[in-house]
Amino acid sequence: MTNLHPDPAREPAQIELPAERRFPFSPWHPVLLPIALVMLIPMIWMVVTSFETISEARRFPPVLVPSSIQWQNYLDVLQDAPFIRWFINSTIVTTASVASNLLFCSLAGYAFARIPFFGRDAVFVLILVTLMVPFQVVMIPVFLIVKQAGLIDTLGGLILPNLAGAFGVFLLRQFFRSLPVELEEAAMIDGASRIGVLFKIVLPLSGPVLATLGVITFMWTWNDFLWPLITIYSSDNMTLQLGLTTFQGRHQASTNLLMAANMMTVLPTLILFFLAQRYFIRGIATTGLKG
Amino acid sequence: MSRVRRALQSDHVTGWAFAFPAVFLILLFGIVPIAWSAVLSFQKTNLLAPPVWVGLRNYEALTRDPLFLDSVIHTLVFTAFYVPFSVAGGLLVAIALNRKIRGIRFYRTAVIVPLVASTIATSIMFLWLFDPHFGLVNWLFEQVGLGPFGFFESADLALPSIVAVAVWGSIGFNVIIYMAALQGIPNELLEAAEIDGAGRWSIFRKIVLPLLGPATLFLVVWSTINALQLFDQVYFLTRGGPGTSTFVVVYYLFDLAFHKGLAGYGAAIAYALFVVILVLTIVQLWVGKKTVYYAS
Amino acid sequence: MARVAFDHVTKVFAADSVAVDDLSLEVDDGEFMILVGPSGCGKTTALRMIAGLEKATAGRIRIGDAVVNQVPPRDRDIAMVFQNYALYPHMTVYDNLAFGLRERKTPKAEVQRRVREVSEMLSLAELLKRRPAQLSGGQRQRVAMGRALVREPKVFLLDEPLSNLDAKLRVQMRAELKRLHGQLGITTIYVTHDQVEAMTLGDRIAVMSAGRLQQLGAPQDVYDHPVNLFVAGFIGSPPMNLVRGRADGGRVVAGTFEMQRPGTPDGEVVVGVRPEAFVLGREDLPVIEVVIEVVEPLGDEIIVHGTAEGSAARSGAEEDDLPPIASGSRAPITARFDPTARFQPGQRLRLGVEPDRVHVFDARSGLALAAPAAG
Repeated sequence: MTNLHPDPAREPAQIELPAERRFPFSPWHPVLLPIALVMLIPMIWMVVTSFETISEARRFPPVLVPSSIQWQNYLDVLQDAPFIRWFINSTIVTTASVASNLLFCSLAGYAFARIPFFGRDAVFVLILVTLMVPFQVVMIPVFLIVKQAGLIDTLGGLILPNLAGAFGVFLLRQFFRSLPVELEEAAMIDGASRIGVLFKIVLPLSGPVLATLGVITFMWTWNDFLWPLITIYSSDNMTLQLGLTTFQGRHQASTNLLMAANMMTVLPTLILFFLAQRYFIRGIATTGLKG
Repeated sequence: MSRVRRALQSDHVTGWAFAFPAVFLILLFGIVPIAWSAVLSFQKTNLLAPPVWVGLRNYEALTRDPLFLDSVIHTLVFTAFYVPFSVAGGLLVAIALNRKIRGIRFYRTAVIVPLVASTIATSIMFLWLFDPHFGLVNWLFEQVGLGPFGFFESADLALPSIVAVAVWGSIGFNVIIYMAALQGIPNELLEAAEIDGAGRWSIFRKIVLPLLGPATLFLVVWSTINALQLFDQVYFLTRGGPGTSTFVVVYYLFDLAFHKGLAGYGAAIAYALFVVILVLTIVQLWVGKKTVYYAS
Repeated sequence: MARVAFDHVTKVFAADSVAVDDLSLEVDDGEFMILVGPSGCGKTTALRMIAGLEKATAGRIRIGDAVVNQVPPRDRDIAMVFQNYALYPHMTVYDNLAFGLRERKTPKAEVQRRVREVSEMLSLAELLKRRPAQLSGGQRQRVAMGRALVREPKVFLLDEPLSNLDAKLRVQMRAELKRLHGQLGITTIYVTHDQVEAMTLGDRIAVMSAGRLQQLGAPQDVYDHPVNLFVAGFIGSPPMNLVRGRADGGRVVAGTFEMQRPGTPDGEVVVGVRPEAFVLGREDLPVIEVVIEVVEPLGDEIIVHGTAEGSAARSGAEEDDLPPIASGSRAPITARFDPTARFQPGQRLRLGVEPDRVHVFDARSGLALAAPAAG
């Protein structure tokens, strides 16, 4: 039998140098760095070119570091094209879409999650069906509907089909179902109505998923191209994505201006991404889980 | 309490009141168009004048239309390259990113950022990068003794170039999905396999890959659906050219419906595409069910 | 079969958290050694270092006669049962069992033979075609053990394998494990926080706390002769009663309790008595007066909870977050009696103790002083 008498007052053991060698840096850096570069260079190059003069841009071999920073390019874009107008249009359409999606999908999502009503499950299946159908199948009839409403070539026409999406309804329904129902039951016993429960109990707990839906809807609407393409033909009503293509058409040789315009178009989504990275990534991961 | 009051407070009414706005919008812009599109496919219309009924003629024309067949081939070729590169590439990058080293957040962000840019923005970047005369990429190739390449202006290279643009723009999505799936594999499983005597490659092939099955299946289905719907990049970069080398189904559809006044024919093509997507998805899911293990 | 030894092993994680502090410990060939202690005491880290899943920051780890610090897990000829079993969810039970053998290129006939043998031994024969998700907790645990045993390892490592089972199953599996060890004789190192498991299963137990080995010995020895307060409070259920007291010229006083222990150094002490050491009606022995608060009849014994004059001492093995000095002026005392006795709350008892069943500890260091001659 061996008994040990450790002395609690003894100093802890001296740490010897570890037996194995340690690399100063992980061997994965030479793998990851090229990958990161490939993913970042297109954007970096866009930014660099946007600050070059036209002669610098159209030079071969390419000028890697511009001799000066031509902020003028950005101003030129704003003057040469109704860029600000396009920006405002995109902002209006996107904001409206995000706001209405958050509102309508919350209401519907909650109803599908918690309120037993006649035909609920059948309607939900129908909604899921729309998720599986590609946009190209429905775009012509949707175009005709918007035309009937007299909204072709208007911002309203851009917004209307995007007021509520099946994705949002699905996402929120799943989330609401995951909340403990006891909270809502307690509130109802306390006298709250359904609307009260939704706005005072459920939604305050839904911050992250609402943020996720907001970010995803923002990105998707801001970046949408095909629908504006078929709905809008006047320059004044174009969104940024559409405007960019006409800009490119007219300024084919002015690459530096085109890059400046592109930069200004990408910037809002970039900013949103860095502010809300978590929600963006979470939104994508959830899409995968649902699959 | 009066009967009317009680009825108004009933769950049925409340439920429908809550759900109505979204349901109405989704049905109006989702379900109704699905049916309407089917109807359109049996008509001839230029979207301005009233449509004319033509029965199955649109579908018949499909089978004999060389441009359509051309577009189908291009779409399938694009898909055949896009899906493997995008999914396998996403997996490899996710594995590389799945470790705790200094700066890993920078690398992860770098890979995900391209997702944020729209297809148009991405296309603009690559239009410039791949410029045959002034583009950075041709200059880089020159440094290693290759090129110059025509990229979007070359009939042979246009479609592969679009594959590159599409993969670059969307690989981040696959990386995110795979990273989430990788992190869902309990470390203990890998430790148990190590103790059991499995080498690194064996662990990857027999433990990690099978457990990534659901994610892989999802990404293959998702990527295929997206690939078959290729449009934005084609419209912006090549308009289907040079010649018809990048002519894809949706581009043809768009052209017919909104430029050539043949919306009925376009609708027929859209439906044909829909059916193909549906069939492919079902086949993939069926194969998936046989081979993929799902955690209960 | 092999010996396993820790030779001044220390493990430090980043941010200077010392998980294992200068551990030296030898496990004999074929021995069933238990590492026991509260969560965070370093027992699992120590186990993982034997497996090779953690690298020692300092010191040497030996399996057999070889120093294995640099040897990867797959080459150490060890097998491990994880707390959550870590069964390969996408493989059948058969494939789970066969996996390690196949990875080592064992011929197919041999694989079949061994898997069949192990599955008979662990009653898994009917479950071979099922997947882990279709098994109960107990069945999964047996598959995890089977996977380890089928490789006939030199050392068998278990990390709290019974903690996810319900109480009844746990008792069954304890007996199962003991029987298996007797039958197979593999050197086994078993980690648990449950001192009952430690006492019933081990040939020897190693009590650990905060990364340090507190005491190593046969279960009964550790029970009868704890070397410090921590071990005294950790081993034994209900735990040892601990009351603060003073030693003065060979006389030890704690509250109303008083006894002679010549040779005890003067100073603050902690007096410890196990609940079963109390006797009634023996006025010739040192006595402590207790007022009963709660009586728990358990069928085969009665546990009495009461208070006595004096203040309680803490061993450091408590699971709660209470401050070091118990509030109130009385010390809680727990006593065990056989079920024929009758007690009432509020009753005053005079409990006697044989002097050599009283443990005295130095209050500052926690070490046992002048340990009693017999248990």
